[in-house]
Amino acid sequence: VEAGDAPRFLDRLRAGETTAFEELVITYQHRVFGVAVRMLGNAAEAQEVAQEAFLRAHRGLAEFRGDAKLSTWLYAITSRLCLNRLATAERRLHRQGEETLLRLAGGEWPDAAVERGEVEAALHRAIAELPEDRRIVVVLRDLEGLSYEEIAEVLDLELGTVRSRLHRARADLKDKLERFLP
Amino acid sequence: MSCHDARESLSAFLDEALAPDERQRVAQHLEGCPECRRELTRLEQTVALLHRVEPVRAPVGFVDAVTAAARPRPWYRRVAAAVFLPFSVKLPAEATAVVMVALLAVYVFERTPALQESARTQPEVREDPREKTARPAPPTVLTDRFARDSSSGERSPESKARSLEKEQDRREAPAAPRLDAAPPVAAPPAATAPAAPAAPAPGATPPASKVEGALEKSQAENRQAPAPPSAEGSRGAPAAPASPRLAAKRAAPSADAVTGIAVRDRDAAERDLAELIARVGGRETGRRREEDATIVEAVVPQSRYAEFTQSLTRIGAWRVEAERPDLPAQVHVILRLQ
Repeated sequence: VEAGDAPRFLDRLRAGETTAFEELVITYQHRVFGVAVRMLGNAAEAQEVAQEAFLRAHRGLAEFRGDAKLSTWLYAITSRLCLNRLATAERRLHRQGEETLLRLAGGEWPDAAVERGEVEAALHRAIAELPEDRRIVVVLRDLEGLSYEEIAEVLDLELGTVRSRLHRARADLKDKLERFLP
Repeated sequence: MSCHDARESLSAFLDEALAPDERQRVAQHLEGCPECRRELTRLEQTVALLHRVEPVRAPVGFVDAVTAAARPRPWYRRVAAAVFLPFSVKLPAEATAVVMVALLAVYVFERTPALQESARTQPEVREDPREKTARPAPPTVLTDRFARDSSSGERSPESKARSLEKEQDRREAPAAPRLDAAPPVAAPPAATAPAAPAAPAPGATPPASKVEGALEKSQAENRQAPAPPSAEGSRGAPAAPASPRLAAKRAAPSADAVTGIAVRDRDAAERDLAELIARVGGRETGRRREEDATIVEAVVPQSRYAEFTQSLTRIGAWRVEAERPDLPAQVHVILRLQ
């Protein structure tokens, strides 16, 4: 049980205690933002989505049953927001052509990563190029460290689906990152 | 286990996410398959690469932004919003409503002759509401109104002029009768009628003045068009008119009847009318075509005037707009075909 999931803390959250909510944001801000930025590839958009995720959590705290971990619940909200936004953005990008899609893949976030090294930049680009349903699985598993069961819960998927999507995502990445492997 | 099946499970094998029996089978396959072992190694290296990715940090100020956005507004702000916010919506809406009602009132007043008449506190003789609502409207009797106004002394000449202009503005211009075609009906000069202090009171209006009024009005409405030179000549105007309206008054001819006829084909109607005039023993004394109407002046024997008007039905829907009650032997009639 994470610190954020302590029963006393959950009670404070459900009671609408401002400091409890602030603690929740402080605890999970990097994880929520991390998923958003890796899914969206744009820091400003990721911040917007991450903030919206916390605000939705804030509004829904009274109904949070506590049978899932807070982190899982927050990841679920964030993932849904990201995938919804990507679905909208993707429709827009399809109209604008593949060139825009590639520009997004090499957008703000990967560019910033270039400064931290070629490998990491290539990693980000490879992740950004994954299909969204695979990308979210590999982000949650290999970057956020969730278990298969947690991912299944976050994305409301069967365990087998999580396994196969993760395997395909990793296989894709392996092919793209071949030259960086020892 | 085939290589294909084994490779499908390599990722989960790496994560130790396989059931023990499945894990056992994959392990057995890997022992005898260097290709799949190599594949597992590459996959492991890829995951290791992913784990090297530095964790992302939310931007500075993110917590403050979120908590500020989530913070409920203080009670006094919520109360203020509930109390005052509606005004920001209500006030413009109410102001708009007031303006709309005012505009509607003006519009209704303008379009409803009865209201205008009641505003003048004088009943109009022979007022036909259709005359004012129909467009284009025929000339109406104004002389009586002027006479009343003059006798009552309640309205200044300027107000009369404004009244006349107002009437004119609401109408499309009908034709001005040609003065050189004035019928042999004796009538006082129109210009004197409105200003005459001894103008007859309502109810005692001499018949001539009414028809003259219509003609005078008709003339006045056409003041944009240059007055026929014969008008000034026939009247022998001593001085140039001070305004087109005055000129119209001075030049106003007299007629015994004014009739409007709604026709579909003006050319055909003109021909039919000419034939009718000839048939009843009358003569056409003038004709002018305007954009929306043809003005025909004629003299018709009074003995056949009734037959003449009844026969107009064949030409079109007609309406007597002004008519002298005691028609002379030769009736000077102005017909407007439109």
